[in-house]
Amino acid sequence: MGNDTGPHKKDLDPSQKKRTMHLWGMVIDLDKCTGCQACVIACKAENNIPFVGQGQAEKGRDIKWMEIITETHGEYPKMKTRFIPRPCLHCDDPPCTKVCPVHATYRNPEGIVAQVYSRCIGCRFCMAACPYTAKYFNWNHFKIPKVMRRYNPDVSVRPKGVVEKCTFCHHRLMKAKDRAAYEVREFRPEEYIPACVESCPSQAMYFGDLKDSKSEVAKLAGSPRGFRLLEDLGTKPKVIYLSEGEKHDLP
Amino acid sequence: MTSREPDPAERHHILLNPILLTGKRFYITVGVLLVFVIWGAYAYSLQWRYGLGVTGLNQPVSWGFYITNFVFFIGISHAGTLISAILRISQAEWRRPITRMAEVITVMVLFIGAANILVDLGRPDRMLNILWYGRYQSPLLWDVTSINAYLTASVLYLYIPMIPDIAILRDRIRGMWHWFYRVLALGWTGTPKQQQVLNRAIAIMAVLVIPIAISVHTVVSFVFSMTLQPMWHSTIFGPYFVVGAIFSGIAALLISMALLRKLYRLENYLLPIHFNYLGMLLLIMSLLWFYFTFAEYLTGFYGNEPEEMKVFWAKFSGEYALYFWTMVICNFVIPVIVLCRRKTHTILRVVIASATVIIGMWLERFIIIVPTLVNPRLEVSSAVYIPTWIEWGELAGSFALFILLYVLFTKFFPIISIWEIEEGEQVGLKEVEKRIRSYMPQNI
Amino acid sequence: MRMKHIQTREEKIVFGFQLTLLASFVLAVGGIIVWIVHLIRLSHELQDIPSISIGISIVAIPVFLVLLGVFNYVFWGMLLHQE
Repeated sequence: MGNDTGPHKKDLDPSQKKRTMHLWGMVIDLDKCTGCQACVIACKAENNIPFVGQGQAEKGRDIKWMEIITETHGEYPKMKTRFIPRPCLHCDDPPCTKVCPVHATYRNPEGIVAQVYSRCIGCRFCMAACPYTAKYFNWNHFKIPKVMRRYNPDVSVRPKGVVEKCTFCHHRLMKAKDRAAYEVREFRPEEYIPACVESCPSQAMYFGDLKDSKSEVAKLAGSPRGFRLLEDLGTKPKVIYLSEGEKHDLP
Repeated sequence: MTSREPDPAERHHILLNPILLTGKRFYITVGVLLVFVIWGAYAYSLQWRYGLGVTGLNQPVSWGFYITNFVFFIGISHAGTLISAILRISQAEWRRPITRMAEVITVMVLFIGAANILVDLGRPDRMLNILWYGRYQSPLLWDVTSINAYLTASVLYLYIPMIPDIAILRDRIRGMWHWFYRVLALGWTGTPKQQQVLNRAIAIMAVLVIPIAISVHTVVSFVFSMTLQPMWHSTIFGPYFVVGAIFSGIAALLISMALLRKLYRLENYLLPIHFNYLGMLLLIMSLLWFYFTFAEYLTGFYGNEPEEMKVFWAKFSGEYALYFWTMVICNFVIPVIVLCRRKTHTILRVVIASATVIIGMWLERFIIIVPTLVNPRLEVSSAVYIPTWIEWGELAGSFALFILLYVLFTKFFPIISIWEIEEGEQVGLKEVEKRIRSYMPQNI
Repeated sequence: MRMKHIQTREEKIVFGFQLTLLASFVLAVGGIIVWIVHLIRLSHELQDIPSISIGISIVAIPVFLVLLGVFNYVFWGMLLHQE
């Protein structure tokens, strides 16, 4: 995960708290989502997610940090399918970080639930605890076929036996902050955009700082169409979905 | 304990025979067990090399046989505590030939339970991370601490009452092993002061071991109940698992009693009355287990929460129905039918009931773990869990290793406590008479 | 107290082994206590709910110390009261 190696003392440095702490969140407009899966593929390409191969995928070992959940309602001929893209929801009260025995997954101060691959012992407790099944395991040493092998140098390749998941493309945040520091200016939240949000052809996904009341994400998050998945569990996920409008005609 | 006519070691020479003589049957048994242990070891070597992908685990069924085995074997460890500690505290005289067998089960099976967790890790080479970076907020760390405390307490609780018997071996065996027993005997000569120290220490340990044992299986259950998954997040899990553990522990103890009775010719020590009484305890635990299970499932069914009901129906009539109903039959129907009339408690019947309980309790752990994982809240595709020969090999290897360690123990130490039997014959009768007299009306 | 039963060289060697047994148990319990304290310090440093670690240590450390105490009681009780 780039430069991030785990919870650090400096993350809790009180002087740092005085600077504006961002709270990264995502809004997905289900009325605009077509289920094209461009986000799934963009995520795989961006994050060096290995190809598990057909055999392994049939056994249920495919790693998809961004996954489309399909819900079909009604019966033929009046069927409607709902596509719900599900990245890691980066909960504010994550059930997965509570149960990790070795501090290999933790919530950083900017709201991103991070994964420390080098410390994970592969006990898969976080996988059992996540109610969204958003965590994936490297069951074998999966590889990318040679013809497709164009690794993104910003993202570490995971060994076998560790858990991984969507990171809101945290490496892009690190890169944007480094660039701002290099150009000796303030880091602007618009510079940080995950691969899935960037790739969506119908622009159904929005990303930004939920704390910044002027950002589009913060405004949409308060929309009356907004809902969160499994909200009653109290995990406080930071991916807000905008439900379909009246024209969508769900039974 | 010292020179009384006749010498206790002579009277109970049959208990020392396994240590002094080794027959062909022993080597055959060890050979057969080693075959299974090697199967398990080979299976694990493949897993070490290629990763957990060689098992049948997948997304979302990320826990399967290994965690089932872990919970199951840790559960069996409650055999020792119940029999040794509770029966000692309640001064039940019939415990005397059984206590050491039970305590050995506890010690050996804890190693197997811990081994299963290590086998389940994706990165076992990093297992020391639990020491360097542990988080006490995680139930797995509670497991580590609790099981360590239990292992320490159980080893002590096995060793301390064994000291006089080790002294008997020290006095009988010459050669290299003499030194081994001499070191462990701690200079036991049977003086009254030593006996007093021993009795006091055993009494303290008996009281101490019980809460530690209860905490062990409670924290094992917390691994599941502290998550938010349907049919796991239940407050009944702590007591439910403890009851299940004691239940499976008694069954394991009964089977080992029956086998040892046959193989080491202990018919004069392990009498039908012992099987009878333990059979009653097995029946009681079966009824208790059924009560907890019934309460758990009725609550889920009545609440009718959609995600819980998906798991419920998967167990009741879905793809796991066969295992669920087999479990109920093995854990409740068969033991109650076989054991409900005390007069018909033959040794064979009690052992049959125990064997079905062992199968049923293993299935119970499996039924708790896998159907919940197969039916996640956000279902993407239908999940299936088919264990591979690697996982079967590891299960077989676990059982075989446990039995092997047990058999090896019987080669070095007497499996029935000689001095406690002597104490029962000489002192126990009078004490019991005095005790019963004290219950009767006084001064009338 | 009365250690006069350890006269010969052979008895000294046996006593040495027995002391090694005791020492390794002491080291093991000591190690566990050091480990638990390390975890308390780690959770305090990372502000990850140190109260749980402290709570567990309040129960676990005395349990291990009592077990060590019982073993010591038996060990010295056996060795010192041999006549």
